[in-house]
Amino acid sequence: MQESQHEAQTLASLRDFFIAQDGAELEAAVGRLPEDLKSAVPAVPDWDAAEFDFNRFFVGPRILAAPPYASVYLSPEPQVMGEAALEARRIYAALGLQSPFDARLPDDHLSLELDALRIMQGGLSHTPSEPLKELRDCFVHEHLNVWVPLFARRVRMVAPEHTIIRFMADAVERCVESVAESKGRF
Amino acid sequence: MEKERKSMNSSLLSEMSRRSFVKLLTAGGAAAMLHGGLLTPKAFAGPAKTAGGCKAFHSACQRNCYDTCAMLSYVDDGVLKYVEGDKQSTFTNGGLCVKGYSYPRRVYSPDRIKYPMKQIGRGTGNWKRISWEEAIDSICDKILSIKKEDGHLLGLALDKNSGSEGITNCAVIQGLFTGLGYTTRFEGSNCWPAGYDAQYFDFGDMVCNDPEDLANAGYIILWGVNPAWTSIHTMKFIYAAKERGAKVVCIDPVLTQTAAKCDEYLAPKMGTDGALALGMARHILDLGLADRGWVADNALGFPEFEQYLREKVTVQWAAEETGIPAETIARIAEEFAKAKPATAWIGYGLQRHTNGGRAVRSIDALVAMTGNVGKKGGGARYGQEFTWDFEYWPKSKMSPPAGSIGFVNPAKQKPGEPTVYSNRSLNRNQAAREMRKADPKIRMLWVSCSNPMSQYPNRNEMEKMYRGLDMLVVVDQFFTQTAELADIVLPTTTQFEEWQVNVSYWHYWLAINEQCIEPLFEAKPNTVISALVSKRMNELSPGSCTYQQDLTPKECMIRNFNDTIHKLNGISSWEDLLKGPVKAKRNPVSWAEGKFKTPSGKYEFLSAKAAEYGHPALPEYHSRRPNHDKFVILTPHTKFGLHSQFINLDWMRDFNPEPCVYINPNSARSKNIVSGDMVRVYNKFGEVAVKAQVTDNVPEDTLLMYEAWFKNDKFNVQNVLDDAVADMGAYQFGGHRGPAIQEQFANVEKM
Repeated sequence: MQESQHEAQTLASLRDFFIAQDGAELEAAVGRLPEDLKSAVPAVPDWDAAEFDFNRFFVGPRILAAPPYASVYLSPEPQVMGEAALEARRIYAALGLQSPFDARLPDDHLSLELDALRIMQGGLSHTPSEPLKELRDCFVHEHLNVWVPLFARRVRMVAPEHTIIRFMADAVERCVESVAESKGRF
Repeated sequence: MEKERKSMNSSLLSEMSRRSFVKLLTAGGAAAMLHGGLLTPKAFAGPAKTAGGCKAFHSACQRNCYDTCAMLSYVDDGVLKYVEGDKQSTFTNGGLCVKGYSYPRRVYSPDRIKYPMKQIGRGTGNWKRISWEEAIDSICDKILSIKKEDGHLLGLALDKNSGSEGITNCAVIQGLFTGLGYTTRFEGSNCWPAGYDAQYFDFGDMVCNDPEDLANAGYIILWGVNPAWTSIHTMKFIYAAKERGAKVVCIDPVLTQTAAKCDEYLAPKMGTDGALALGMARHILDLGLADRGWVADNALGFPEFEQYLREKVTVQWAAEETGIPAETIARIAEEFAKAKPATAWIGYGLQRHTNGGRAVRSIDALVAMTGNVGKKGGGARYGQEFTWDFEYWPKSKMSPPAGSIGFVNPAKQKPGEPTVYSNRSLNRNQAAREMRKADPKIRMLWVSCSNPMSQYPNRNEMEKMYRGLDMLVVVDQFFTQTAELADIVLPTTTQFEEWQVNVSYWHYWLAINEQCIEPLFEAKPNTVISALVSKRMNELSPGSCTYQQDLTPKECMIRNFNDTIHKLNGISSWEDLLKGPVKAKRNPVSWAEGKFKTPSGKYEFLSAKAAEYGHPALPEYHSRRPNHDKFVILTPHTKFGLHSQFINLDWMRDFNPEPCVYINPNSARSKNIVSGDMVRVYNKFGEVAVKAQVTDNVPEDTLLMYEAWFKNDKFNVQNVLDDAVADMGAYQFGGHRGPAIQEQFANVEKM
């Protein structure tokens, strides 16, 4: 149970980080990491400066260094609102869930997908469900764990000025990989 | 794996939907997982697929392009899947250009501007995401502070150009600025003013035959125009004419793809098109092939023109000026005069010269004296604005707030009479020069539908001026070289995310543009952005803006229709356009009745109006601007972009991955340059570093670089263009002459 709480806390923190709107929200999201991860977080002397870097990678207005959308990595050519976004939307719908952003934010934004994973994991930890487990496995193995490593690699390649950006990108890759490896846990 | 994943998900999704996961969470005590998260519960309504597959919507391309295509956009699951030309338009006939087919890439490019953003330090690249409220607050605060400090708003400037030609975009932002008070406007046109004025002097208006009527021509001269790249739909009518036996001649200093498809290609020296036209005219006179009957019935000043030709022009002179052999000039002239009907399509390149307006008048005269004006398959074709009589609401109805102080034009202010205020108008073709001398100075600039840093000359000076602003606001879909310098960028919608209506400046079709998808991210239409500013201005300072405060793009679009548009197009309501595009109900032949809009009511070889504006009354030749450097530089349109739009998209970069300078083999040899070398093109205004391509397609004295804005590339041809202006444009463009951007000079060296 403790393991699942750690995982849920990690997923929630990562989710909040990648959808943060300013330096304060970035800092708060990092502050919600589990203690063991938090202790490894690199020092951030200036969260405003980290925010500039974050926007350069994930928000804009310049060309994004690492767009946080699955479609960009899973489509034959990089775009948003590709088949991967619709697939994510269908998965949420099958769970009885939806994005609060409607079509204004592609459904395959990293934070929405991390939230879906967190909720699926939470459900499985409480109530075993074979269809849900299969869906979770499919979502993780054939979707998240395909594109998130590509995303994290893009972040590393472009080399953010602020190490917190790379730290969190690495963290999300490890977290998804960990869920994938623990396929039989729930 | 893709296929496997889809099939697996399909069955799993179905199973999960039957079980309702939210109920399962609740039953299992895990409902807390939903709280504080992003995703929210919904009633499962089945797969969000559109019944019967994609749904089609009517769309219209809104780029600044001859073709202004009526399109169909196909949407499934709320996502734009693909687009095609609308077959109901006989001009589009179901096809689009490469750029048009790329629209879904444009809409769904990861590179779009997504949110309002504020830059901390102009040009630093340090951007903070802000809310729309914060962005509008910052803008309104600044406007109010300028008004308070200066006592007027002439320090507030607008540069709204033609990057998005939807009719509401032609009206709303200017309407907002009028609603704020008297402000400064960058006006004039980067495109066609010299030729536009020339046609007004000659015909009294600028109206062309229907381009579909090109199919009826017996002889076509494509003069300084490259439709194989810039108006591909018109090409089919040219081909139709060829199939019926017409000869097609291309006149262009560059061996374009259009030239390659023609029967004959002439390459005059740069800026000598007027001499060529006049030389042809002289030869037609000598052969007795002028249509004296038409001229006598319909024209003013032909005897004076004839006298000018006989005294000042010979074919041999024209040959020396243009570099085209005299016998060729004579032969083409004879062919043109004998072919009935014959037509010339005058492109916008040849009038972007210091003698460009005169060149167009000379070509007009050539067409007129051969009796080809007002004839099916004939005409001196340049463009038309006949179909543009919309309301331009709310711009047309706006007044500044009571008590607003504005610009006083000494030429219009009569002594002893009440002060007459107006907006201050600056020529965008000399924007840097105009900003430098502006008094009172420009403190705040709003840029929309425009990328001045990639389109205006003298870019280095432009950047200095922009850096001196208190605030620069840029509204755009992509992060252009102008947006790089902004303090605030606001994301705006593509045509698929808003209602619009469009007409062309070339063909006569009218097409509606339905909103077919929701705006992505936080993009908003210009109509909404303008209303937000007005609303906040009035909250902060009641009565400070008279513009609409609550306006939907659809309402705005509807209010731009009027009886003139209805009658012209044979519709009773805008809703008729939901069935498809319509074509103006008019004679496809312009000037067929022989009634011109000049002061004399005739075609004017001799124009008192031209003389009034400081030009020769006749279409006399004037030599082009002397070289101020070794090479002429040409910067025409590229195939895969439209000005600075499209070329940033990945699909275009597959074909056109990087900018090049095209250089003739002899010139390259003299400079020790081979294809692939990085070279420096430079002059006293600036320089660009660019890869060389050696080609026979450009003349020996010429360097050619296509204008464009490449993603992640600092290349910019505007670095080496000065702000010389064309001879004409002041008549119809508020005193603002057109740009002489094809009459520029530079040198080149290997890096």
